[in-house]
Amino acid sequence: MAQQTLALKCEHVVKRYGDLVAVNDVSLEIAVGEIFGLVGPNGAGKTTLIEMIESLRKPDSGSIRVLGLDPQAQSVELRERIGVQLQATSIQPNLKVKEAIGLFASLYRKSLLHPEELLETLSLADKANSRFRKLSGGQKQRVAIALALVNDPEILFFDEITTGLDPQARRAMWDLLREFHGRGKTVFLTTHYMEEAEALCDRVAVIDHGRIIALDTPANLVHNLKAGTKVLFRVTNRAVASAEFAKLPAVTRVEPKDDGFVLYTSDGNATLQELIRHADRQGLSLDAIRTETPNLDDVFLALTGREMRE
Amino acid sequence: MRGLAKLAWSEFRLTLRDPMTAFWSLAFPALWFLLMVVVIGMPIPGFDYHGQGFASLVFPASISLVILSTSFIGVPIALTTYREAGVLRRLRVTPVKVTTLVAAYSLSQLAFTVVGVAVVTILAMGFFEVRILGSALAFVGVLFCAMVTFLALGSAIGSVARTTRTANIIIWSAFTPMLMLSELFMPLSLLPRWLQPIAKALPLTPVNTLLRDIVFGVALGDLWRFGVLGAWAVVSLVLTVRFFRWE
Ligand SMILES: Nc1ncnc2c1ncn2[C@@H]1O[C@H](COP(=O)(O)OP(=O)(O)OP(=O)(O)O)[C@@H](O)[C@H]1O
Ligand SMILES: [Mg+2]
Repeated sequence: MAQQTLALKCEHVVKRYGDLVAVNDVSLEIAVGEIFGLVGPNGAGKTTLIEMIESLRKPDSGSIRVLGLDPQAQSVELRERIGVQLQATSIQPNLKVKEAIGLFASLYRKSLLHPEELLETLSLADKANSRFRKLSGGQKQRVAIALALVNDPEILFFDEITTGLDPQARRAMWDLLREFHGRGKTVFLTTHYMEEAEALCDRVAVIDHGRIIALDTPANLVHNLKAGTKVLFRVTNRAVASAEFAKLPAVTRVEPKDDGFVLYTSDGNATLQELIRHADRQGLSLDAIRTETPNLDDVFLALTGREMRE
Repeated sequence: MRGLAKLAWSEFRLTLRDPMTAFWSLAFPALWFLLMVVVIGMPIPGFDYHGQGFASLVFPASISLVILSTSFIGVPIALTTYREAGVLRRLRVTPVKVTTLVAAYSLSQLAFTVVGVAVVTILAMGFFEVRILGSALAFVGVLFCAMVTFLALGSAIGSVARTTRTANIIIWSAFTPMLMLSELFMPLSLLPRWLQPIAKALPLTPVNTLLRDIVFGVALGDLWRFGVLGAWAVVSLVLTVRFFRWE
């Protein structure tokens, strides 16, 4: 039965706050073993959606099934089997990290045999005896992740997991997620970092104003954008008009940008080679030449009209 | 009730790590006892002390104060502080039940109550010649009923009030009348006649009166006083279950 390979199924889920429709008719299916990413600008409804799935908020209409369970009616059973990191929470401020792990592990029917090993995995071993309130933001974030893992959950929910982490900690988190995923587990995450969604997720949904406006693999999302490659450069020795570059092969559009130009092209290589020859002939000195292939950032920008990071 | 012991134990240690709470539950009632007995030390004229000193009247009142500060203040403040900080919200995504959580915070405060009562008792009996003339078992029995009732009351306040601000308002607006009317300072018989039934219905009055009667070895005739405690406990538990919010 297809039902059993589904980790999550949402059908026409709606959540209103007064006049505001925070989540608007969302339907989703996530397979067991998938890493699923939800991206969207601030206030798009990511947290509202993920917290309805986690049983913390009650949908106004529509149906949600997580591991075949109804988050409202079967919340206790569900909470035994999921791991959750919330966007905004705290634990008891004076609790030591090691104690927190032990305490949370004791709340579950089944927990990791050696939950304290999580401290090692998350590079928290030297903070085991520190009080939670004395940790840095990134360290608190890592404790939150450790707590989400103590019951060896079947599905992990991460709401902006790597916000506030340094690049090294973020990579470590990715490794941890991939390892978890490698054991056949499911991950549902929200993020503001497109490279994160691109690097980690099997499928990505873009949400805006409570609606899912695109849902596909990162590669397909980028491909469907048909945005083509960009060639960026500056001319340092004299003034030139943008029209001068419009005739180069494969160029579809030229835009002045900052003190240089952006060539939109359907064939990056051809454009680049001809650009260099053209500069030679005309005696132009080019500087800061680079090409950009479109990525999820562009998809996001095109779909929502907003830059991902403010 | 899985996790109850661990939750209660960690809450107990956390309270110890917060010196203000520890002071209020352990040192304050003992200091109050000393202040009343040593500094004020004024027996009420015409009051029957059954051959004991003024300290034997202050002793039950000090025990009432221990119970008030650990249960009536400690439990609701713990609940609202955790609610405001999002700690309850985090606990909510674990399988822990409301009853387990409230029971754990109550158990932790119960431990402080026991220590606080012990401190006051050692002080009173060891240094101020207070004697429990009635049954020690009855004394412990009344203490137990009082703790259960006031832990339930504390849980109810921590559930009805969403924030620490509201909780404080409820606590202090109930605290003051109880201090004045529950025989802590003056016997019921000195109150205006119309106030007496109200005073008798307050939850602290039976505690104080029963403990004092046992200290003086007076027969416990008025068993309806246990009914007052029980009624407050039941109402409180209903309010807790009905109004508890995680966030
Ligand atoms: N408890 C609430 N009461 C009223 N409105 C709410 C509540 N929670 C969220 N909202 C509103 O619902 C909308 C969606 O909020 P949500 O937190 O789901 O956004 P988000 O996508 O997680 O944003 P961010 O990227 O900033 O975390 C916002 O406009 C927010 O103001
Ligand atoms: Mg959010």
